[in-house]
Amino acid sequence: MRETPEAEALPSSPIAKARLYLVFLLFAVGFGYVIVGLALRQLIQTGDLKAQYDTQSRRVVLRPPSRGLIYDRNGYVLVENRIRWSIKADLLALQPEIHRKYLALIKAERVRGAPVEFDKLQDKARLDVLQGWLDRVWYVIDEAQPNKRGGARPRPVRPGDEPERRVNPADLRKHLRERRALPFVLVTDLAFPGSGRALRPEEGQRTIARFIDQFPVNGPISLESDIVRSYPHGSLAAHVLGYIKDTDELPEKVNELADLPMDNLQKLQYTGKKGAAGIEQTFDAVLKGMSGWELWTKTSSGYNKELVASNPAQQGSAVNLSLDRDIQCAAERALAQIKDSKGELLPGAAVMLDVNTGEILALASQPTFDPNRLADRVTQVYFDEVDGKGGWMNRAIQGLYAPGSTFKVITAIAGMRHGIVDWDDILECGPSFRVGARDFPEHDPAGYGQVNLEKMLAVSCNVWNYMVGVRLGQPRLAAEARRFGLDTPLLTHVSDLVNGSPYELPYPAARTLVVPDAAYKQRIGAGPWTDGDTANSSIGQGYILTTPLHMACVAASLARGETRTTPSIIHDPGRDGRHVGAEPIGLTEAQLTALRSGLERCVTEGTARTVRIPELPYAAKTGTSEYFKNGEKAHLAWIIGYAPADNPAVAFCVLVEGQLDTSTWGGKTAGPVARDMLTTWARKAETPTGAQPASDCQRK
Amino acid sequence: MVWAWFIVLLATLPGLWVADLLTDALAGTNLVLFISGAAIVAPCRRLKRWQAVLFAACVGFLFEARRPIPLGTLPFLLAGLSIFLTSNRILLRNTPLVLRGAVLCNTLACTAWFTAAGLRAGAFARGDLGDFTLQLLLQVGFAAAIALLVFVPLALIQDAAMDRTGLPPALESP
Amino acid sequence: MDKHRQGATASYVVLALCAVVWVVLPAAVHRFAQEAFAEFQAPALHLAGKARDLARFWELKSRDKEEILAASRDLARANAALELQLRRYEDIRKENVRLREMLRYNPPPEHLTVVARVAVRDSSTWWQRIVIRKGSDDGVRAGCPVIFSDRVIGKVAVAHHTTSEVDLITSPNFRCTGFLEGDEQNRIVLVTGAPGRGLASGRSRVTAIPQDYFYPVGNAPKVTTTGLGGVYPAGLILGHLEGGQRTTQDGNFRESSLTPTRDLFALQEVTVLVPKYPTPGEILLEDQAQKRLDELR
Repeated sequence: MRETPEAEALPSSPIAKARLYLVFLLFAVGFGYVIVGLALRQLIQTGDLKAQYDTQSRRVVLRPPSRGLIYDRNGYVLVENRIRWSIKADLLALQPEIHRKYLALIKAERVRGAPVEFDKLQDKARLDVLQGWLDRVWYVIDEAQPNKRGGARPRPVRPGDEPERRVNPADLRKHLRERRALPFVLVTDLAFPGSGRALRPEEGQRTIARFIDQFPVNGPISLESDIVRSYPHGSLAAHVLGYIKDTDELPEKVNELADLPMDNLQKLQYTGKKGAAGIEQTFDAVLKGMSGWELWTKTSSGYNKELVASNPAQQGSAVNLSLDRDIQCAAERALAQIKDSKGELLPGAAVMLDVNTGEILALASQPTFDPNRLADRVTQVYFDEVDGKGGWMNRAIQGLYAPGSTFKVITAIAGMRHGIVDWDDILECGPSFRVGARDFPEHDPAGYGQVNLEKMLAVSCNVWNYMVGVRLGQPRLAAEARRFGLDTPLLTHVSDLVNGSPYELPYPAARTLVVPDAAYKQRIGAGPWTDGDTANSSIGQGYILTTPLHMACVAASLARGETRTTPSIIHDPGRDGRHVGAEPIGLTEAQLTALRSGLERCVTEGTARTVRIPELPYAAKTGTSEYFKNGEKAHLAWIIGYAPADNPAVAFCVLVEGQLDTSTWGGKTAGPVARDMLTTWARKAETPTGAQPASDCQRK
Repeated sequence: MVWAWFIVLLATLPGLWVADLLTDALAGTNLVLFISGAAIVAPCRRLKRWQAVLFAACVGFLFEARRPIPLGTLPFLLAGLSIFLTSNRILLRNTPLVLRGAVLCNTLACTAWFTAAGLRAGAFARGDLGDFTLQLLLQVGFAAAIALLVFVPLALIQDAAMDRTGLPPALESP
Repeated sequence: MDKHRQGATASYVVLALCAVVWVVLPAAVHRFAQEAFAEFQAPALHLAGKARDLARFWELKSRDKEEILAASRDLARANAALELQLRRYEDIRKENVRLREMLRYNPPPEHLTVVARVAVRDSSTWWQRIVIRKGSDDGVRAGCPVIFSDRVIGKVAVAHHTTSEVDLITSPNFRCTGFLEGDEQNRIVLVTGAPGRGLASGRSRVTAIPQDYFYPVGNAPKVTTTGLGGVYPAGLILGHLEGGQRTTQDGNFRESSLTPTRDLFALQEVTVLVPKYPTPGEILLEDQAQKRLDELR
């Protein structure tokens, strides 16, 4: 009988059998281990594994909220959010095309006989495919294409083209590394697709419409719209409004994700924005809003697959500024008119306050910048351009200057309060005044002869102030300046709104304000205090340093007959007109009347007569102080005051950094800015709110 | 007869056009009166396999030619179905079974083109799967009902055409 | 047992191979196949359209003579008024051309008009189409806008020789820009078709409505074409904005539905506006097949 092959294969000896059983046993143990392990995972660890699956297969995408708007006191928009249309490529949908390209490239390399570098070819395939789509997008949106009649086909990008027409390999690599799951941005802003040409708004609209109306709908190229910050008036109030910058710290809304292990979930976020200057910075907490989120499942290669849950972003709250758009516009326009003999813009600042509430109606600083050009990112070129002109500084609150003759008001008040001089005292004022070994000159070489308080204010007599100042002594003069708050930081936070800064605007002059005295002079190592220093101080020269906003507050306080004004950039209709630290000015009725009438005479017949407004009598004090600019002597032109003279409603201060040839004078140089602000204010005050004429400060 | 499949196709065309006209009448709704799946069942009982495959592919192309469906979806599916039916004619041995076959073929084909068209329209990229399923059920249910209703007249016409071409009669159950 | 059973596996294999070959075949072949089957059906579509016209003819024929007389009298009056208006428009047109020349302003795209009868309507969740009885032989090209009087109906999706398929504005394949009535800043909104839900046919959606856009309550504001995209002339009506507006996912915009101004499926006749020169969009549509061919090489 022939043995079957099966029988042949079986071991016959007991040892061999035992070996076989051992192998069976080993198999059985192995299987048992696997089965028990599987059962354990399926039945007991299900919950844990499910949670692990959830965290590994899902991701949260955070979407930045749109920022709150900023309005002026009349409800006109100063900062808004513009719709930005961008074009993105879905890399997942493009994958087959990229793969085909990749294979074609490999084939080409092999045909050439070159060694195939797969990684490089993969990158090249991706880049080529994206570039092909970008070429097609440009073909549709570019009106300058010479294809209109000939039916030309999309053309590949050429060396001389704008950089936006080319997919940047570095950007693509960064995208794949950091945001693989999000679509790749081909065109950031359809309204401004290329940097080479500046587009007018209607041209931008046309570019958007060309893409939407013409580009084939189904495909890997999608259109997305989001919101960007827009400053419709361009550089208007740029120093107040500030600008924004990119941030990766989004305001999160974690509570509503509480049932998910948020910490373990992979988070992906779009770049958000945060305030980098001005109100945008100090009121960032109010303006920024709350982020929205989307919970996605993801594919094994890391792309978003399905939206599981979501929560929309919440727009930030609005901020109502106390600024008046039209007055601000008038101030900036007038400042922009002031040029030196070479036709270059002179730096300056202008402030206008509401006398009663202290709300700032205008706060202008020249030179300035266009925050629209900073909305996406600050380019080094633009930064340097603005920096070269000194445009980043807000001169109205950060510029430190000697107040010059505008300070004489304070010297006069101190003199009268301490009985050194009275309103009707007549002092004999020659061409100069001798203090110690030095003659302090009058600015009129002939002198002013017999001068009382009113005349002193009208003609800005120096000698009167030397006499009063020296007799007062520096301690009492400094105390009076401090009483008017010249050493107190302004714009400290007084609003109920929550914000992250102790000030309403970033970096206002605070510790650098100087009301000098003997101790100060000792501290800076300039030796002991002399009467000469006091004489200098009495006309606002020497060591004293203050800001245009401080001097505007002095004018407002004078107008109310008080010592302090608390300015604010935030509009609050419920303001009660009480000012922190304010006390009555401490003059008799007659003294105060004489003081005010002196300031009025300054406009009607004195140093500010060139900027008289016939229909609006107002009070002012000009000043021309000396300072050193780049080591050379130059003039600062000042004017402070309030209007109308009989029933003050607004106070103002204008400062211009004069040119080196000392041709700048308070009334002549700074006066026109004040006049323009006042006429604009008067025009608006005459007409009731709501029926105001169309503004000449149009959107840009 | 070599051209039998084409003659059957010509006989089926009026039925397909009537379906298009009825779809026109239903234009206010989302429903497409789809009978292409049901139309291949009766010929598959009598045509040779290659003829049935050709016939099915043509029926598929006729439906797809004017609609945004990825080209080839329906022809290849119907061709596959026709191969299956011609190799399992036992499954079509009596009228209830043929009816069941028509309904199944129609629903299967309907699911295929609906899903393919949805894919092309980016329905899945948008992530509204619930809505998609609802629409699919509606359309497939309608296709099943229509297959039940129109199959008998359609099959009678097709059978008459096949009788004229002299094709052998279909396998009937004992 | 079926005697054919033996070869079934081989048949499946052959079918699978055919499917693979089909996928790899150049797009031109696909297009040829599609065109062939579409053209094959064209006579039937023409016939269907003609039959509809005939039915309409008999319906009119059955009307009372008095009624028709009255209608023709009204028509004559309307014609006279229109005649007058036409002359005025001619003057205005000439002035417009002069002014544009003075301002060196780009002329709006010139269109040739092709009037076409509707053959059949075809709607599903994924498409909302009408087939018209004019095609590439009459100058119709894919991508051309289709209007009826001052209303946008859709856009030509495919142009065959004697018929064309038109994607209606409710079709998911439709997209264009619009202006909202009463929006003084003329901000662009996006009008797209959307897949239907339930038994309701597709609808158009208006997205990117600015959050600060308001219109008088009880008034459905018109949405009109922008005329900026080089395809649609400006000021054509796309439809009316529906009441319920929702804030979008990102909280930046609102979106709403659009009611087309006319029952799109009751149309008998439409006008195709054929741009004098093909727009880049049209060329891209044409090129897609070509592009695929290039890729395969």
